[in-house]
Amino acid sequence: MSFRNEPVLELRRAPARESLLDALKELDARLPLHVPVSVGSDRPGRDTFDSTDPGQPDRVVATAGRSNEQDAAAAVEAAEGGFGEWSARPAAERAQVLRAAAQILRERRLELAALQVRECAKPWPEADGDVCEAIDFLEYYALEAVALDEGRSLVQVPGERNTMRYAPRGVAVVIAPWNFPLAIPCGMTAAALAAGNAAVLKPAEQSPASAGALVDALHAAGVPRDALSLLPGYGEVGAALVRDPRVHVIAFTGSSAVGLEILRASADTPEGQGHVKRVVSEMGGKNCVLVDADADLDEVVPEVVYSAFGYAGQKCSAAARVLVHEATADTLLERLAGAIRVLDVGQADRFATEVPPVIERESQERVERYAAMGPVLAEAETALPAEGWFCPPRLMADLPDDSPVLNEEIFGPLLAVSRVRDMDEACDVVDALPFALTGGLFSRSPRTIERVAARMPVGNLYVNRGITGAMVGRQPFGGNRRSGIGSKAGGPDYLLQFVEPRVVTENTMRHGIPVE
Amino acid sequence: MEMASQDAELRAALFRFVDVTPACRSLDDLARHLAGYLEEVDDRPPPIEAAMKMSGTKPGRAALGAAAAAGVRHMAHRFIVGESPKAALKAIRHLWDNGAAVSLDLLGEATVTQAEADRYADRCMDALETLAGAAPSWPERPVLEADSIGRLPRVNLSVKVSALTPLLRPEAPEVGREDAARRMRPLLVRAKELGAHLHIDMESVDTVEATMGLVFELLDEPELREGPSAGVVIQAYLRESPQQLEQVLDWAAATEREQPLVVRLVKGAYWDHEVVDARQHGWIPPVFEEKRDSDRNFEALTRRLIEAWPHVRPAIASHNLRSVSHAVAVARELGREDRDVEFQVLRGLGDDLAAALADLGHRVRIYCPVGDLVAGMAYLVRRLLENTANESFLGEQQRGTPIEELLAAP
Repeated sequence: MSFRNEPVLELRRAPARESLLDALKELDARLPLHVPVSVGSDRPGRDTFDSTDPGQPDRVVATAGRSNEQDAAAAVEAAEGGFGEWSARPAAERAQVLRAAAQILRERRLELAALQVRECAKPWPEADGDVCEAIDFLEYYALEAVALDEGRSLVQVPGERNTMRYAPRGVAVVIAPWNFPLAIPCGMTAAALAAGNAAVLKPAEQSPASAGALVDALHAAGVPRDALSLLPGYGEVGAALVRDPRVHVIAFTGSSAVGLEILRASADTPEGQGHVKRVVSEMGGKNCVLVDADADLDEVVPEVVYSAFGYAGQKCSAAARVLVHEATADTLLERLAGAIRVLDVGQADRFATEVPPVIERESQERVERYAAMGPVLAEAETALPAEGWFCPPRLMADLPDDSPVLNEEIFGPLLAVSRVRDMDEACDVVDALPFALTGGLFSRSPRTIERVAARMPVGNLYVNRGITGAMVGRQPFGGNRRSGIGSKAGGPDYLLQFVEPRVVTENTMRHGIPVE
Repeated sequence: MEMASQDAELRAALFRFVDVTPACRSLDDLARHLAGYLEEVDDRPPPIEAAMKMSGTKPGRAALGAAAAAGVRHMAHRFIVGESPKAALKAIRHLWDNGAAVSLDLLGEATVTQAEADRYADRCMDALETLAGAAPSWPERPVLEADSIGRLPRVNLSVKVSALTPLLRPEAPEVGREDAARRMRPLLVRAKELGAHLHIDMESVDTVEATMGLVFELLDEPELREGPSAGVVIQAYLRESPQQLEQVLDWAAATEREQPLVVRLVKGAYWDHEVVDARQHGWIPPVFEEKRDSDRNFEALTRRLIEAWPHVRPAIASHNLRSVSHAVAVARELGREDRDVEFQVLRGLGDDLAAALADLGHRVRIYCPVGDLVAGMAYLVRRLLENTANESFLGEQQRGTPIEELLAAP
């Protein structure tokens, strides 16, 4: 069996677009959704919180149970119990359960895309892409887990038998962000489960409903309730989970500040904790696109614009900076400025929208703060909708080297262009940044491509294309340096972080006679 | 070029070189790029090896760069009729004198800003004016100027919707359609005043819905009912092309326009793009993957189109002798006069065929790209790819494939 990516909808066809609008209409009639705390069984009767539509903040998309520290403790306890049952199942059987969950997501894909449009203001093509990526993670890790279960081959000599197998670690905590509200929680959870661990999922407070749909699908597919809990809520629940000595693995995707705090907190080994915690941490970036003098600007402009402003720049992989050869800088700036002016800023449910609102008021304020730090060369000319957390996409250029705009992660629709003498200088600039998640290079010289590829420290380098949209199995994704610890989601190494290797060496000699 | 056809790696290297030429800043830069591409070819014939050696020194690079630039310019001139409409007038007149009409196509960079769209519209306007200024001095050519429906414009311009707006988005075709319409409308009005023909080209599948919608909507506007003559394109490599043609024919039958729509039937020039794009997305390619299926469909659509005359004016655009002969035969079988089917070829690729068809008394129109070398490169590379593709008719013909095989029914 081989893996192939779930095809995204062909949205250039009118019937595909209509099917999504129909799904949205049906979803709207059901709002707000209810997302319970789920530990063993649903635990109703507690405080709740709402997720709202970033494009229309008075629209409540979901009301979720607000889990607390007791829920966290209960979820870990349930997981310890669930782990026994789940890990005892053969890998192939667990893989089958994940595939069944993928099938459930597939059947609900229109509705789940519509949910992201509402809950996270994700425009249709990206919402659909996110659902497909979630399906991909389930299918991919199902295959990988079965392969991993075979173990690795070792050197054998007469008289001994060496085997190397992988065992699940135990209880995995998943702390997920809102920007890929189904795919990222799904990827981390599916990896933990596929490898035989029990999982406790704490989704972002901005997107509990997508996480709820994921957990529903996994339970319905056959993951035991105790082996997978859902704890909607805020940071204090995540912190309690990270501290819990019964937790073995923590898989986190989100901001650098939180990621580093998790690494610090999880390093502690209090009395009674019989293991060292393993942390998978995917954090921020300050992603640069290098444009050499020989680049094809007809390709550079649309690819850079989409990389920088798709989903309002709220992807960890998004382009934040362009480092352009001075010989082509003026032309590129003029064309980029013109392309940014015509960007369509609007509500996520319109197919024409290219830049949706950002996720919440704090994000809007943060972006505005950075935008005030220098002259804005161009911004989109469409009138912003009256309500919603909108920020116009903006272009800045030639900022001083120490400008925070050039050095800090903004996570919004703001792109800064700097001129460089050549690609070596561009590599020096990238090298000086603490982040190393994605990067891009536009060049038509094979020698330049080779040289830059060798120098770029980033986890994912894209050459002559946009720098977002990593596909499971095709572009295993994850950052280096302070962007992450080097795990590659959707790649062949990822599951290794959720297992521990065990080597068994057996002496097969009995009284000088081999008994193999 | 023949050498390139034989060796896919070498061909790729040369295409990449042609593609990058406009962006190179000096002969030295040009030579470095050429050497960079050739380095990736495993099995290098002696002349290529010599070129590589030259690239090792500065004077060598200057010489190699100059030679390569001259080569590319020479090749570009074969396909591009002039740097501007004005500069192209002499060549156009020459073609007219020799019995071939033209449709002018303005090459340019991709349109990503409103300013670029405005510039393209201005260039279109200028092309209309320039051609209309010169055309009255051309000698009478009855075959090129009338069919049995009536007069045919001497001035003929092909325009690309993707160049008229930076807003074409496959998932929101109405946005690009509306933006392109506000630039297309004045062109149509001016073409009507000048008695010119405006042909709306078809590009990749991503733009088909916007393009078709634009054509149907604009041409039905009251002020455009009496003109100008206008045309659309059907790409026979599209699986959906039979339905698209029916849509066009339904519209043509219902419209109150005075001049019948010209429908240019082509195989289609974006095959690789469509297949790769579909494969990367996990979609079924919108094009036939077997060349023979495209050829067969082309013949079926040819018949349908000629049957539909006089609601539409058929224009058969192919370099494939079999496809062209088939169209002639179908027209005669259906009792059409020869002058009621137009044939179209590309400059630089279909010149021999054009001459032969003109000699036989058919109306031939040569699609002539206009623009500078920089602008022409993307176009050129696509033409070259088509020409040297293993299965292309011209490629096969060049390699000496027996004529019976080339003319076999698809």
